[in-house]
Amino acid sequence: MRRAPFVLLLLSAATAALAQPGSQRPATSPPPTASAAAGRCGVCHPSERVQFERSTHAQEEVRCVSCHGGDDRSLAQAVAHGAGFIGRPRRDDVPRLCSSCHSDEGKMRAYNLPVDQYALYQTSGHGRRLAKGDMQVAVCSDCHGAHDILPRSDPASRVFPLNIPRTCGRCHGGNASAAGRRGKPDDHREYLSSVHAHELFDRGNPRAPTCVSCHGVHGAAPPTVGDVDKVCGHCHTAERRYFTAGPHREGMIAAGLPECVSCHGHHDTSATQPQRLASLCATCHGGKSKQVTLGAKMWTEYQAAATQIEQAAALIERADAVPIQTDDYRARLEEARTYLREALPAAHAVHEETVTGLTTRARSVGAEVASEIYGNLGHLQSRKLVLVVFWFYVLLTVVVLRRFQSRAARKD
Amino acid sequence: MSDAPRVGGTPGGGDASGGGAGPGPRGDWVAWLERRLNLTETFSFLTHFGLVWTPVDTSRPVREVVREVASQPVPAYARWPRVLGLLAAILFGLEVVTGVLLAYYYRPTPEAAFESTRTIVRDLPFGWFIHQLHGWGAWLLVIVVAARLLRLFWDGLYRAPREVLWWSAVAMAWLVLQSDFTGRLLTWDSRSYWAAVRGMEVVFALPVVGPLLAFLLGGRVINDDVLIRFYALHMLVLPAGFAFFLYLTFATLRRVGLSPEAPMHRGAATTLRDHLYSMLILSVLLFGVLTTLAVLAPFRFQAAADPYSTPTGVRPPWYMLAPYAVIENGPGPSWLLGLLLLAVAFAVLLLPLWAPRAAGGRVLGRMRLWGLFALAAWTALSVLGAFMERR
Amino acid sequence: MSQGVEPERQPQQSVGAGGPPTSRRRFLSWLSRAFLGLWGLGAAGAIGAYLRPPEHGPRIAERIVRVGLLEDLRIGEARLVRHGVTPFYVVRLDAGRVVALSAVCTHVRCILGFDRERRALTCPCHDGRFDLAGQVLSGPPPRALPSYTVSVRAGEVFVQL
Repeated sequence: MRRAPFVLLLLSAATAALAQPGSQRPATSPPPTASAAAGRCGVCHPSERVQFERSTHAQEEVRCVSCHGGDDRSLAQAVAHGAGFIGRPRRDDVPRLCSSCHSDEGKMRAYNLPVDQYALYQTSGHGRRLAKGDMQVAVCSDCHGAHDILPRSDPASRVFPLNIPRTCGRCHGGNASAAGRRGKPDDHREYLSSVHAHELFDRGNPRAPTCVSCHGVHGAAPPTVGDVDKVCGHCHTAERRYFTAGPHREGMIAAGLPECVSCHGHHDTSATQPQRLASLCATCHGGKSKQVTLGAKMWTEYQAAATQIEQAAALIERADAVPIQTDDYRARLEEARTYLREALPAAHAVHEETVTGLTTRARSVGAEVASEIYGNLGHLQSRKLVLVVFWFYVLLTVVVLRRFQSRAARKD
Repeated sequence: MSDAPRVGGTPGGGDASGGGAGPGPRGDWVAWLERRLNLTETFSFLTHFGLVWTPVDTSRPVREVVREVASQPVPAYARWPRVLGLLAAILFGLEVVTGVLLAYYYRPTPEAAFESTRTIVRDLPFGWFIHQLHGWGAWLLVIVVAARLLRLFWDGLYRAPREVLWWSAVAMAWLVLQSDFTGRLLTWDSRSYWAAVRGMEVVFALPVVGPLLAFLLGGRVINDDVLIRFYALHMLVLPAGFAFFLYLTFATLRRVGLSPEAPMHRGAATTLRDHLYSMLILSVLLFGVLTTLAVLAPFRFQAAADPYSTPTGVRPPWYMLAPYAVIENGPGPSWLLGLLLLAVAFAVLLLPLWAPRAAGGRVLGRMRLWGLFALAAWTALSVLGAFMERR
Repeated sequence: MSQGVEPERQPQQSVGAGGPPTSRRRFLSWLSRAFLGLWGLGAAGAIGAYLRPPEHGPRIAERIVRVGLLEDLRIGEARLVRHGVTPFYVVRLDAGRVVALSAVCTHVRCILGFDRERRALTCPCHDGRFDLAGQVLSGPPPRALPSYTVSVRAGEVFVQL
């Protein structure tokens, strides 16, 4: 009983200490180390602290003072913002600030992170402009965020593959005017209309290209004429192989026309349209040139083979309704379709025999299948002939039976 | 004396010479059997099952009995309109034979039903033929039992003492429709699956019968349990029921006699042997007709059933279109409409009990008029059911 | 049949009792019976052909394909089995292990080819490559190849699709 007032005093002191605003734990309790990292800066900067505690830096014991300097143990602004305080870094200082850790192999080796980002950045379009004093370019924090930096594998991260188009689009998109880039094309919206975006977003294919797949990550720069086919050919190896074997590559480089994108578009890349084989050639070559004739010929051959295959497929459906065994025909038709699909990359070589070789093979397999099915259906018609013979047999049987019947009747 | 060729299928009839059981080189084995086994009693199985009219003295030797039976004068029943019953029996026999052949390869699970049917129809020699015979035979059987019912009604052949005939005819017609319905589902293709679903909706809407049938058939959703119960019904229960009522018909006919002969046929004395020949000729012609249908108008092979996607415009089978129209589009709650349908069905069944007893021409004429009216109503409802939109 | 209607003739056909049967009548009678017997023969033949159980080929509805004998498949070799629209490769990895992979590229469904040195499946259309576990090595295909269960029974290889 004598100790009661002392206990009461301790309790009230503890409660007072705990009841300080800002030092309460947030509703979703982060791991204990996070609070230690943010120190006491969050007392005055709560929203930044909340963002920071979600980030991957907070979990790796990077503290506010690591980037901003100052003293994170004091609540008094004079001390907290005192010696060594950087505060909000200047835009052109940000890359150097980040690279102070991220270019240090000793620090990064344990995380298996690369250390060439700053060097690459300096070669990039962004970096070179920044060096010349243009502040309206991206620095590290524009793409990775400042406080809410998350690893690339985290779906909430700004550099998660599905989020990259939006991140780049903050400047290279419809909001360009906000970032001071009035009059520039809306690359973001063009990309969203492309087949690559469809593959990425609608079909969930994580290997589909985003902005960084073609432009590079930290050394981002648009590929120059002569390099474009290497970039596209990273995935489209077959097309690149045929393209390099044909006359287009040298011709386009000599004319200063970028490969691939001159016909397929660069951000709004569209899927293969074989009917363009006829019309596209005329955009560079004259309307009556032999190239246009070649293009038209490739298209007619392709179309003929595709039509033949469609016919054969329709016949297979008809045969199935009878039914006739069609598994083998379906297998052969898939082979024919393979030849046909191969013809489109082969068209990049703009060589007649290459393409017509494939389309002719496709068409002949289709024609074979069609004629065999016709044969089978024809055999079924022979059943009708057998029916006629059968009826003779039936009527003869009836006559014979009647004879037996009348003979038996006469006897009774 | 007797020339009884083997074609009639009568056992024991051969080319042996006439006269008793005299031992000859070929008569020996029959006499040998007869000392050990009552062949006549074995033969009398046929008399019980309806082909033969006269009772058989099982103490006499079989050859004598067969000869006597074959020469019996009998009324002409292989002529129109009595031949309908005979046709039904023949078609039933054909369905059983083709059904057994199909059952050798068919598998009644949802995964295998369609595939096995396709194997039968596509890959096996004559499989398509047996399958088409079974299908067209079923169609013909439905028409024949329905026609028989109509003819019995038209000629007033439901009045005492022929009530049992009428009930057997109604039961046989109902069993044939059920066989048709259960048989359709077995192929497990999309149109038949969804037609079965629609048909079951009609059945489940009936008041007492509906939930009972849902219980017996394994549920309201057509799944693998329901399929195998349909299979068991189609293969075992319904044919057995049909055979029983067939037997009952013959037994009743032996008691009450055939319907009075039409004037044109009076005087044509025929024997049983003669009728057997007529039956054989009829069977041959029927087979010819079915073969023609199988070759010229084969049922098209459909796509496999997909319980998750409904093709458009699927209706119940044609004989269920009238109840379908009543229940789907009739005014009032569906249980009431179902009750109405059940009442109509029972009225048809119990016709002999409430139809006027007097056997006059005017009475018959009036009943015929009511019958025509009912038929017209049923046809109109069926047409409505075929074209209407679901509520 | 050309039998005359002669009531005075004895219609008996059998051997023995009765009047003398003419050989022509006996022959015609035998002929008609044989003719009718053809029905039985025809039915027996058709039903017999139908009832013979099919020996080879896929087991009905279990979607199991018999590929062949295990010893006919060399180690490191792949065999393309045509199976309608789902052709597949059967690859013998070593003495004991056999895998079956779909031969249809997951890009636009071209039929793959087998690259023996690289132990990979390559697509002739757009150069997609898959390893023998079905994973994409390079190229435009978006998804891995489906693989099928292989069982070896009594020296025969069966694949379940």
